[in-house]
Amino acid sequence: MKFFKTMTMAAACTAAMGVASTANAANWLMLQGTEPAGAAPRAKVWGFIQPEYQSTGGEDLAAGPWTGEKAIFNQIRPDIDTNKDMNILRARLGVRGTALPLDSNVNYFLLTEMGRNGVTNKDSASVKLTDASITLNHIDGARVRVGKFKYPGAEEGLQAVHVFDYINFTNVTNGLLMERFFKYDGSGTFVQPAAGPDTASDSGQVNAPLSGVGAFRDTGIQIFDTFKKDDWEHSYAIMYGNGNGSNNSDNDDNKDTYVYWSSEKVYGGKGPRREGWKIFAWNQSGKRTITRELGDADASNDIEGEFDRERSGIGTTFRKGKIRASFEYITADGMIFAGSDGGAVPGTLSNLPGPAAGKFTVNGDVGSDGQLKASWNVETEGEADGWYAHFGYQVTPKWELDVRYDVYNRMTDVSAKERKYETTTIGAQYFFNKKTRMILNYEMRDAEAPNLPSDHNANLILDSMDDRLSAQLLVIF
Amino acid sequence: MRFSTLKSMAVFLAIALSLVGFNAHAEKAFAEQKVVLQISDNDPFKQTLVLNVANNLVKHYGQDQVEVEIVAFGPGLRLLFDENTNKGRIASLAGAGVKFSACSNTIRNMSKVLGEKPALNSNATVVDAGVVRIIDLVNKGYRLVKP
Repeated sequence: MKFFKTMTMAAACTAAMGVASTANAANWLMLQGTEPAGAAPRAKVWGFIQPEYQSTGGEDLAAGPWTGEKAIFNQIRPDIDTNKDMNILRARLGVRGTALPLDSNVNYFLLTEMGRNGVTNKDSASVKLTDASITLNHIDGARVRVGKFKYPGAEEGLQAVHVFDYINFTNVTNGLLMERFFKYDGSGTFVQPAAGPDTASDSGQVNAPLSGVGAFRDTGIQIFDTFKKDDWEHSYAIMYGNGNGSNNSDNDDNKDTYVYWSSEKVYGGKGPRREGWKIFAWNQSGKRTITRELGDADASNDIEGEFDRERSGIGTTFRKGKIRASFEYITADGMIFAGSDGGAVPGTLSNLPGPAAGKFTVNGDVGSDGQLKASWNVETEGEADGWYAHFGYQVTPKWELDVRYDVYNRMTDVSAKERKYETTTIGAQYFFNKKTRMILNYEMRDAEAPNLPSDHNANLILDSMDDRLSAQLLVIF
Repeated sequence: MRFSTLKSMAVFLAIALSLVGFNAHAEKAFAEQKVVLQISDNDPFKQTLVLNVANNLVKHYGQDQVEVEIVAFGPGLRLLFDENTNKGRIASLAGAGVKFSACSNTIRNMSKVLGEKPALNSNATVVDAGVVRIIDLVNKGYRLVKP
């Protein structure tokens, strides 16, 4: 099993490291799940605000049935209806502490989201509960955390987003780990939506997500702890959850399991910017229930089934003095989010005749003969992988420069469907103070269908991908 | 000198030395400054602050030139819980001669709330009442500082 190999590799690396040395990066399991023993308040109110601006060149699709329409990859999240947008991406308010200050064995963590992003925009909700957990520290070596919280996994997902060095996640994290939940795989709506599923949202999206994005969270129970030996800190976590992301309840009978290990040599400091060198490995395994439309518009032969969803990763982070660096490799098997038809914004009518004739109606929206309506898609049995490498340098106490290169290979098991995304991000951070900073990013984005000719529609569409400029202001309180 | 006399002197010396060691609050003979630091707040920042002040005093005057005692009572007694995240710093300061006193009245009250007696840091000495300890030290010439 892949995750066994991943964990074995991590353990072998740990054994080879020998004793004490300092660790890089933060211990997110402990920082987010526990409170400092004997020194935590009953209730500490905290939060952060992230207003941002993002823009692309807005180039339209150059090929395919949606030629001339907006390219989804050039639109700005979360509404994907414009190529330039100012938005309050995140505005979070939370409280954490010990229920009874005298008893450090019980901690709690509560966090709400009031910004506009993939967690809140699905229901146009103004406030969403992102975290609500209780940690019991009664058993040495086995702390218990129950509720909704970040599952132990990839570094970009597990770390606190308000100390993330970049504005946007890497393609591999966004594509494989920022889970979207759909009722259908979307294959039928491409051909002819007429008899397809009546799942258009109020915005006209076809096969619209059923809920907000997973946001690297799940509701469940986690056993975890950290063991210190000299300068080394070894951590583990095992979690059993609903597998339904940031939603409060489950949507089927399947459950996800999460396994995580990290070993970190601590150089010094504390908190999110503690210095050290960390190696880690993780695995997430579960099943999803989704209806396969089998690529046609005949709803009578749709099949609802359960499909495996497996993710694994291994990586390292380093932080010492002025240097920051990280690397992570992630693999995926099953339930691969495959974007939208023709690169168009879901709900957009095609401009060219589709492969099947006939009018269609989706939630009362009548199209012309042969027109298609772009939908979201999921490859239920696909495979994918990707990796990223980041380097940062603190030029002065107030300025930090960052560069990141990330590669995402989607549908590596089907030659014609394989897509490769490469992005180089250059960034700068200015720290007004240790809790307030501005981030500037410029992403040089490139994508291709590596196994198809350069003049194939897929490559002509992907050639439309613009670079992206982002600016974000962040304050933590 | 007869062996029996030597033996008696050795025994006397051993007893005297043990008495000095037994008194955890024995004062430094050459200390010119004497400071008692009070912590009675629940605020974790106050815990850090009182330890910082103690450390600054020792660094400034030298550990043989200053007597520092931290008296914890009320909610501030959490600083001297054995599980407290500042345990390492406390051990380091204790090694530099800083004394830590824990109020037994507070211990008794907290025991009622917790259902059991809280485990204290091994560097802490239990005193009858924290505020009485402070008054006694002030009467002996200590300056009271509450960060």
